[in-house]
This record gives sequence, structure tokens and C-alpha cells, in this order.
Amino acid sequence: MNEIICPLCGKPNPPDREICQFCDAPLKTTGFLASPDDQDIFGQFPPPSSQGGEPSDQSAQPESTSSLEQAIPDWLKQTEANFLEGDEKEPGDLTSDKVSEEIDALLKQPFTPAEGEQPVIDDEWLASLLAEAGVGELAQEFQPEQPVGELPEEGETAEIEQVGAEPEESEPPPQVEPEKPEWLTNLEAASTIKLEGGMQPSEVKHLGEKKTGLEEGETKALEPTEVPEWVGKSSFAESPPAIEQPETNESEPPLAPAEIPGWLEALRPVEEKAKPTGPMEDISAADIVTAGPLVGLRGVISAHPSAIQVRKPPTYSIKLRVTDEQRARVEMMQELLAEEQKPKPLPSKPIITYRHILRLVVAVLLILPIIWMIVFRSDKSSIPQSGNIPGVIDFTQQVQRLPAGAPVLLAFDYEPGFSGELNVAISALLTQLFGKNTYLTLVTTTPSGPALAESFMSNASAGGNVASAAYSNYTDLGYIPGGTMGLLGLASSPQSVLPYALDGKNVWAVAPLNTVTTIADFDAVIVITDDPDIARAWIEQVGQKLQGQDKPLLIVTSTQAEPLIRPYYEATPAQVQGMVAGLAGGLAYGRAVGSQPANRIGDALSIAVTVSVLIILAGSIISLALMLAATNKQKED
Amino acid sequence: MKRVLPVTNAIIAIVSGVIVLLGYFFPGAFQGIQSVLVGWAIIIAAFALLLGIYNLAIVHWKKVGAEGQGNLYSVVLLVSLIITIVVVGFSGPTGSWSLWVFNTFQVPIEVSLLAVLAVVLAYAGARLFSRKPKWHTILFLVTVLLVLLGSVPLFLIGEIAPLSALRGWLSQVPAVAGARGLLLGVALGTVATGIRILIGVDRPYGG
Repeated sequence: MNEIICPLCGKPNPPDREICQFCDAPLKTTGFLASPDDQDIFGQFPPPSSQGGEPSDQSAQPESTSSLEQAIPDWLKQTEANFLEGDEKEPGDLTSDKVSEEIDALLKQPFTPAEGEQPVIDDEWLASLLAEAGVGELAQEFQPEQPVGELPEEGETAEIEQVGAEPEESEPPPQVEPEKPEWLTNLEAASTIKLEGGMQPSEVKHLGEKKTGLEEGETKALEPTEVPEWVGKSSFAESPPAIEQPETNESEPPLAPAEIPGWLEALRPVEEKAKPTGPMEDISAADIVTAGPLVGLRGVISAHPSAIQVRKPPTYSIKLRVTDEQRARVEMMQELLAEEQKPKPLPSKPIITYRHILRLVVAVLLILPIIWMIVFRSDKSSIPQSGNIPGVIDFTQQVQRLPAGAPVLLAFDYEPGFSGELNVAISALLTQLFGKNTYLTLVTTTPSGPALAESFMSNASAGGNVASAAYSNYTDLGYIPGGTMGLLGLASSPQSVLPYALDGKNVWAVAPLNTVTTIADFDAVIVITDDPDIARAWIEQVGQKLQGQDKPLLIVTSTQAEPLIRPYYEATPAQVQGMVAGLAGGLAYGRAVGSQPANRIGDALSIAVTVSVLIILAGSIISLALMLAATNKQKED
Repeated sequence: MKRVLPVTNAIIAIVSGVIVLLGYFFPGAFQGIQSVLVGWAIIIAAFALLLGIYNLAIVHWKKVGAEGQGNLYSVVLLVSLIITIVVVGFSGPTGSWSLWVFNTFQVPIEVSLLAVLAVVLAYAGARLFSRKPKWHTILFLVTVLLVLLGSVPLFLIGEIAPLSALRGWLSQVPAVAGARGLLLGVALGTVATGIRILIGVDRPYGG
């Protein structure tokens, strides 16, 4: 069964297929039929390794001839039939194939050698073609010869037989075509071989020469069975037609190798003798290229276009293929992540913890004794001595030295929360000042100062500690904005900073403030503050105005501000001439000036401090005990 | 304009600062202009106080409009602000109604805060050793106890002279030393800040 060799991939295909089953290349138009024994459609070209005339290669050649016939396209066959029917085309439209067909038709014409006339070629184009091919001479030489196809050679001769048999099959009886000459028959054979086997004109000429050799022995066309034995042993079939090898004559002795003179032998390069030739690769077992431009070659890399074969790119699905196991794992992971993202409710804190209880206990322990002291008017604690508290004696003496009716600047620069601590000292101060009938000028640098000052003055009036006339001997100038800058302005020019009192009166125009132009015109400046920064601002901005005038700057402050104010008091020269600090200082100062504050305040302070110390000590001891117990437990564990 | 304004501001600030500073050294020559500049600063500071109150009201007004916790406190603040302004506006800053509001609300609240502070400090002192004590923790606690015991006569015990003397030493030597160090640091910082402002390196006014 014949197969069609794909011209693209070179693989055999069933004859009934129109396209290659391997590469989908069309087979009918350009494909070739090949015998199953020899898929090499170019089998007529012996491979290089077969130049030695291997019988196996030669046996395939006759069959390739028939396959070539079968490989003739239909259109070519149809053209041949048309030509035979007389549908001759114009010479200009003829192709080489058609020309060969016409030649074949001419070859089919009977030839009458008896007449001895030269064959007349009617068609000029055919004559010119024959002239170009050099066949004319051959035709003259081949006149008495038989067709090449009748050569008794195996292999190659079979092809020739088959070619030579064509006229017998297709041509009518000899009486119908008696005019076909013998030389034309030979030309037909030669032309057929050239067209179908790709033989060159030179090969045809060589073949003619062989025929000419035959012509010497015989003048009659030989039958295939009548081919001489020596023809069958001819090397024509054994050697490829493309390679012209001189036909060896058995009778002639072989050429003896030339004798090289000694001097010439000595001139030959030593390397040529010593150095063996390179290793020759044994390509006998290599594959034969069956397709591509290197078809028929053995042991070479195929230039088959399979490497650049155009194929439809494979399509890959972008859809992720997930197995059931993977899907289950993904779902499990999603569940885990979903649980992680869920906010976990914080553990609810208990409403009451031991810390709350401890705070309540501390508060009760502090508050109950104080309440008990106030309710029962305890008088068990002694009042601190003024000599034991720094600054109290100096403060008392500075106030005591003030002249009667002297203008005194009193600054209420403390927060209302410190009223309980400072009111004792302030009450004693006001008692002493009002006893001197001083003219108080109330100012403040805090927004709540004016109300605080006015409230304190009202309470002092309601208490009745001093004469009611003294309570009206003051003026409230109100708030000094600007902080430090306001104090500087007050020190430089009080009238410009605070021109009017809170009641709208121009106090600077009446006595005793009509004589005041600077801060140094006041006989004393007393600052009541709980803030060390405010005290420092007064000392820095106002105190330096008073120092040169021998006017005292006195400060009543809280216990927490005392450490920062004391350096000014203890400086040399002192920037603060007197100081009363805290509740203890107020009690001592009141005791010094003869003011008798309620002693229950002292008892409350005493018991509050005592309880505080006890609470801290107890708590510290309990904490240490618990810590030691925990440490021992850890060591035991 | 963006270049002119910063330069102008810097020039004004530097010149004003130099004049006020010279007023300390040369009162006779610069006292007048110093007083004028200080007067302007006081007015601006007073206006800044009003501006601060207005800003406070606006912030809490926005909080009242916004959703969330803490709106009630803003409402209380705005109501208190309005009531105080109305009362003081009609009664005057030292009127009886103004003093009533002051003595009824502001003073007790601030005193209560300090009272709570006393309880919290006592509680914190009791728990000072709840964690692993260190040497400065022990030193702090011992100092606190000594100062408390030496500040006032103890209940039913009276004044302990050694503790009072020790408290006096602590308040006069270590405390005053630390306070003076703080004051010196503050003074040096103030001088450095003033110099930076005077030479235009530090421009808190912008630019």
C-alpha cells in the first residue's frame, strides 16, 4: 500500500488523506506517493553511503519509478490527455511539463527507419527545445537503437523498462503510428527519465553513449530478455547516474601506483606520515534524513522545518483547578481566619475591686477623723510656734512696721481650691493690716482673683474681727492681664495698667492712691499665691522695683510652693522679706499676731497628717509582706 | 506678601524687645516707650483671653453637635459659661450674685479636687511598695514620711523636735538646693530664649 509523504513533516500518511495527519499540511497538491518499502520519495538519488552500489538501495529504484508516475498530479495527466486529444496550446503557454508531454506524444509516433530519412520536426518550438537540450544529435545517434527502457539492467533497468513500456501501453498499434522514429523513442525514454528522475542532459548523454556502445554490437532494437549479460553487470545501475565514473574495463589492468622518487618521498611532510588522520565518524548506523532540503543524507542534522513548525499555541485555562482536598483545606483556613477576625469580648471588669475598696478605706480613714475634730471641736493639738516656721517672724515684723493708713498692694493670686490652706494666714494678715488701718489695693493676675478677693473681704467683714470702718478702706483694681508683662506694666505705671477700679471709680485721683505713681510708692506689696511661677514673676518684675526703695515684698504661699520661694527669702540681700507658708505657717502667724483661729483646724490637720502617715506605713508594710510571700512562694515552686 | 509679612513681623518683634530690654538698663531714656509697648501687650493679652474663651465655646459647641460620648460635659460647660456671663454681666464682677456663683460652685469644686488629690496621694503612698521597690522608691517614701511627721504636731503626740529639725533641714538644704537649681535653669533658659527672639532666630510669632 502506497503512502503519501508529507512534504512538511516527512511522515507517511495514508493515501486517502488530503492533509497530513501529523501536521495538517495539505498532501494532494504537493505530496508525493511513496512505496511502503521505501518512503524516501527521492530514492532515485542514492545516498552517499550507497555509492558503492549496495543492492538493497538499487532494488528500490524501480519501484520509485512507478511511484513517480502515481505522483503525477491529476492536472498533469489531464493535460497529457488533452494533448493526446489534440488540444494543443499555444507555444507561448506551454510549460516544461507540457513540453515533455508533447515530446512524449512525438515519441509515440511510429518511426520508419527503412526510409533512412531524417525525422522532420514540424513544430519549431520543439525543434528549438530539442536543440537546446542537445537531443537532436542524440536522436540522430540513437536512430538504430532500442529504447532505454529495454535495457536489461536490474534496478535501473526496471525503471527504464517501465518507461519504455509506456509507449506499448498507451501507443496504438505500430501500424497506427508508423511514423514514430526510433531515435524519437529513445529521446522519449531519455526525456522521461529526465523529467521523472531528474536526470541531467549530461546523464542522458552518458546514457546515450552506453547505448551507442550497444549499437556497435547490434543494429536492431533489443528486447529486455535479449540484453547481454555484460550489460546486466554494467555499472550503470550500480553507480548513480549523477556521478560519472569511468567504466572500468576488466580486460585493462589496474593502474599501478606511481613510484615516488626517494628525494620526493623525503620532501613529504613528516606530520603527514606520523600524524594519523582524524577519527572518522561511523555514520552507517545514523538515520537518513527523510525530509527537508537535506533529504537522503545520512548522519547530518536535519534541516527539517519541524523546529520552526508552526503550531497552534496551546491554550491554558486560567481557571484554577482545585481538588476536593484542597478545597476542604481552604474552607478550613477561611473558617480559622473568620474566627480570628471576630472581636473577642473583653472580660467584664468587676464593678467593685479590691482597689476600689482600698481607696474607699483610705478616704474614710482620712475624712472621718477630720469630721470628728470639726464636729466635736477638738482642742488637743498644740499650735505651731512661729519661730519654728521660717519667714513667719519676718513677715509679722514687716507688717507691723507699716505706718498707719499706708497704701498696701495686696495681690490675690491663688486658686480658690487653696482657700482652706491659705485662709488662716490671710485672715491673720487682714487682721493685722486692718489694725494698722492700711489702705488695701487689691489686684490679681488670675481671672478668678477679683471674685476671690472680694469674697474674702466680704467674709472678713461678716466675721467682725476688725472694725467695720477698716473694711471699706480698700479698693479692688481687678485683673491684670498679660501675666509677666502685666506685672511689668504694673511695676512701671500702675495707673496706666489699671486706671479704674472694678466699681468704675478712678481711684488714682483720690487719696491715698493719688500719690502713687509707681509700684514703689506702696508701702508694702503682699502677694498671696499658691503658684511658684506667679511668685517668681512678682519677685522678678516687681521686687526689683521695691528693693531700692526699702519697701518689703511679702509672700503668703502654700506648702507646695514654699521650696521654690524660700531661695528668694533666704537670698542675700533677700528678694522676699517675709513669708508665710501653708496651714502650719498660717496658724503660727495667727498665733503671733494674736489672731485666734479655730483650733479645730489644727487638730484636723494634725490628725489628717497622722492618719496619712499611718496609712502609708501600713500599706507599705503590707505590700512588702505580700511581696516577700510571693517571692518565697516562687522560690518554693 | 508672603516674604514681606514675616520680615515685618520679625522687625517689629525685635525692635520691641530691644526697646523693652533697654528700658531696664536705661529707664530714663526708654521708660516712656517701654510703658507704651507694655500697655499694648497687656491689651493684646486681654483680647487673647477673650479669644480663648470664644474658642473654648466654639470647640464645645461643635462637640455638642457631634455624636459621641462626652457631649454632656460640653453642654454643662456651655450652660455654665452662659449663665456666668449673664450673671456677672448684670451683677458685676464683684456683685452679690457673682460672689454667690463663685462661692457656691467654683470654690467647693476646686477644694474638693484638692481633697480627692489628698486621698489619691495617700493611696498611692500605701501602694508604693506593691511592686518591687528600688532604692529611689524607698528614699522617696522615707522622705515623705519624715516631712509629714515633722510638719505639724502629731495628734495625741505633739511636736517631735528631732523630726521637726530633720524636716527643717530637708526643706532648707536639699529642697532649696534643688529649687535654686531649677530657678537657675529657668533663668538661663529665659535668657537664651530672649536672645534667640531678639536676634530673630526663634520666631514664635510666625515666619
